[in-house]
Amino acid sequence: MNKPGNTPVTRRGFVQFLARGTGLVVAVGAAWKANASKVFREVLPSRSIAPGNHKWVMVIDLAKCDGCRDCTRACTAMHFVPPMQEWIKIFEVTDNEAAGPYFLPRPCMQCDNPPCVRGCPVGATYKRTDGIVIQDDDRCIGCRNCIAQCPYSARSFNWGEPPHTPEEKARPYDVEYNYPHRKGTVEKCIFCPEHLRMGKLPACAATCKMGAIYFGDQLDDAVTNGKGETIQFSKIARRGAAFRLLEELGTEPRVYYLPPSTRKYPSPDEKHHTEMAGMEH
Amino acid sequence: MEAREQNLLRTLQENTWRFYAWVGFLGAVLLWGLYAYLQQLRNGLIVTGMRDQISWGLYITNFVFFIGISHAGTLISAILRVTDTRWRMPITRMAEGITVFALCIGAPMVMIDMGRPDRLLNVFRYGRIQSPIIWDVLGVSTYLTGCILYFYIPMIPDLALLANVPKLSSWRRRLYRRLSLGWTGTEHQKALLERAISAMAIFIIPLAVSVHTVVSWIFAMTLRPGWNSSIFGPYFVVGAIYSGTAAVIFSMYVLRRVFRLQEYVQQLHFRKLGLLLLAFSLIYLYFNVNEYLTVGYKLEGTERLLMDRLFGGDYAGLFWIAQGLCVFLPAALMIVVLGFKRYHRFTIPAVVLSSVMVIVGAWAKRYIIVVPTLRTPFLPSGQRLPWQWTHYHPTWVEWSITAAAVAGFALIYTLMAKLFPIVSIWETREHEAEVEVPEAAPAKPLRWWKPGIVFPVLVLGALLIWSVSAHAAAPAKPKEIKTAAITAEWKALPVEANREPAAAENNASPSDERVALYTAPFLSLRRLFGSSAQNEQNPAPPIAVTATLRDASGAPITFKPVEFSLQTAFGVVDFGSRPTMADGRAQLVIKDHRYGSYPVQVAFHGDDEYAAANFNIKVDFGARPSPALPEAGMLIAPYATPHIAVPFLVFYGTMWVAFVYTFGYLILWKMRRPAEAAAIAQTAPPLPVATPFDAHQIARPTLKPTNGEMS
Repeated sequence: MNKPGNTPVTRRGFVQFLARGTGLVVAVGAAWKANASKVFREVLPSRSIAPGNHKWVMVIDLAKCDGCRDCTRACTAMHFVPPMQEWIKIFEVTDNEAAGPYFLPRPCMQCDNPPCVRGCPVGATYKRTDGIVIQDDDRCIGCRNCIAQCPYSARSFNWGEPPHTPEEKARPYDVEYNYPHRKGTVEKCIFCPEHLRMGKLPACAATCKMGAIYFGDQLDDAVTNGKGETIQFSKIARRGAAFRLLEELGTEPRVYYLPPSTRKYPSPDEKHHTEMAGMEH
Repeated sequence: MEAREQNLLRTLQENTWRFYAWVGFLGAVLLWGLYAYLQQLRNGLIVTGMRDQISWGLYITNFVFFIGISHAGTLISAILRVTDTRWRMPITRMAEGITVFALCIGAPMVMIDMGRPDRLLNVFRYGRIQSPIIWDVLGVSTYLTGCILYFYIPMIPDLALLANVPKLSSWRRRLYRRLSLGWTGTEHQKALLERAISAMAIFIIPLAVSVHTVVSWIFAMTLRPGWNSSIFGPYFVVGAIYSGTAAVIFSMYVLRRVFRLQEYVQQLHFRKLGLLLLAFSLIYLYFNVNEYLTVGYKLEGTERLLMDRLFGGDYAGLFWIAQGLCVFLPAALMIVVLGFKRYHRFTIPAVVLSSVMVIVGAWAKRYIIVVPTLRTPFLPSGQRLPWQWTHYHPTWVEWSITAAAVAGFALIYTLMAKLFPIVSIWETREHEAEVEVPEAAPAKPLRWWKPGIVFPVLVLGALLIWSVSAHAAAPAKPKEIKTAAITAEWKALPVEANREPAAAENNASPSDERVALYTAPFLSLRRLFGSSAQNEQNPAPPIAVTATLRDASGAPITFKPVEFSLQTAFGVVDFGSRPTMADGRAQLVIKDHRYGSYPVQVAFHGDDEYAAANFNIKVDFGARPSPALPEAGMLIAPYATPHIAVPFLVFYGTMWVAFVYTFGYLILWKMRRPAEAAAIAQTAPPLPVATPFDAHQIARPTLKPTNGEMS
């Protein structure tokens, strides 16, 4: 043995070794790529293309919401939403001590910069060209990163096996109505794409008897509520000083709110008061 | 063989009843955890205390904790090896073992947390490099591979030694012989091994830092109060090394007691590591102050609620216990014991006590990071939900699985300590020899960085870019609906000058700015060359709709209201009425942001003189923009985008190249071909060029005067 540590690393040996290694890597890479390009070129984009050229938008007039939760019930009935989940949830919000409380319906915001989509490891939730953030429970692995990501708490999880009904089980699963529900997957409001295909309003907007939820196509520049009133989206957003929830987070929601001014129904405070009075009598 | 080595080998051979009892106990805990997990598999995560609001709990806490503990090996072994700290020799193997075993326990914790573990392979089938979860998969798997290699490579000489110990059973000797890869202890092999170890030590340090950084990014990449913090990366890395050091000290103490390793592990080691632990406790204290003061000073919105809950509310008890155990108490104790000479004799118990406090405190600290933030979202969904759905209380299933994780860690450690020598025999032996005979060795003009390595890196890089550049084809643009040309009933007016500011405003929308910040300087040719055509929507021109109201004879009907309305997908937009002028024409100018063609109805509702009449025309407001994903597409795209993929894949790809080089080339291929190597050595004398990356210089700085600055 010659000098200690005098081990030669010759270029020839090294290149030989590397050639074998690279050959293997290239072979594996090519095989992977063949499969991947199919996924990339066919499967993924086709999922993101919506059936029509629309930009769905929702406008919720807080001045009209009386907190009856008909929208939640209609949504639950239409999608067979499992118990303890509310895809559109009515919050009773008090911004500060001085301000009176108001009701705030919160569907999924269908953000244009959706944190949930960013964080999903498998593309089980994805943005569609019509603005809807879809949830694919055939693919969801249940890591719940999207729940952690969503600042609007708009996502729910099937912690156990959800109770099933025959009507729910009657149809095969489809992302456009998102049932039958399955254990261990995430659920959310999806703006009822199935209704939209048929030219109907989403269940919540169609049901609201106060006409508080307007829904429409931003490219139509018109939104319609359940009472058939259609208003110009750009006009109502501008004149009504529409705002979006947690705008400062940069999520670019597709749900706009009109401020709860000039209410024509009992405020949450008054409601509680009459309920209490009713209980006393 | 010395007496102390005989003693060390005894740990491999002799099993007392205590050993069997201990293994039996750990096995029982593990089985109980398995039963709990089966319950969870059958019934779903409903058996845990997690619910929609607090959707991560003990499992994620354990994951972060164990990944943190795994940084022990990196610190003690790699950093101390690179800086050539001599006293590390007897404890490197223990530290490296902790790293491997903690990773083996930590990584499955996320799988246990999954709602659909049956779909685990979706992570590889559909993985999106934009997701922090995938960063973790990439990082942890690379790190685990690296740590196994880093645990295994320095053990090779010991395995060869053990293969020749006749007292061991034959299957074990066969195993050791197989694993020792033909190690005979020649100078050539030693040099190769040194080089492999040094290269691994260098690569494992940035890898370890990156792994705990991406673990922290799972949290820091959210918009949650308390997680939405730029300090999380280094905060987690320091916390990880801190808890890892504590784990090394604790395991050192236990192994010393159990295996009677007093000859190897001395008070010196506890003192040195105690000082390290003290240093890290102070750094960690600094990070804690930084984290909570910046948030607590401003008390912004929801963060205020979080601070209230941590410092004086629901979580105050656990918070202060965690802070006390994790930072204050150990720091104070070690300052007293290590700082004052009269207390030096308490070094071992005090340092071990501190490390136990740090380990427990680190776990509580992880819990404090994970749970209270989830409890405090922007929109708390607590209204009209039962109490259990908004508060988190771990169930027996979660506690059982957590106990099983700890037991599993202890079990692997125990069995591995029985199977492999827990103190590196050849390194401690060599270390002694070197201390006795500090002779100068000839310069080692070895370069492990050969020009040839550039080639595979380039190939791999090209492959990565090739694979990630497989963009999806842009969504096919549907054919534009051609509308029939309508006669003079409507026309588009020229775009008014005062519309321009609005258009400019549109282009400079905040989303655009933000996306540009992310993408413009980096690889986005489309942006660099300024073609934002996709984004640019021509402002819709104002449309003038003119209705002409005439009677049967064709004479204009004047000053009558004509109502204009437009049919949209869901309803009818009412534009109100306009009166007809003297020529019988009523004009409506529509200036909406509307695209596509729509039926417009002009209606005269009739009055005393004239009957009602209406007329429908189709008005074209201009082409609809082609359907596209929003501009933030880089992060939300369903396919890998190079902006995110290239940095990650290049970093971890480099690590894999390094693994292939050190293990595949140096150990597997090179070390087992001594004859060929010797032949080549004669024909190709190595060049006496020292590079900054010379592994030998780093491994043995004392041997060369030029390396003074390295150590």
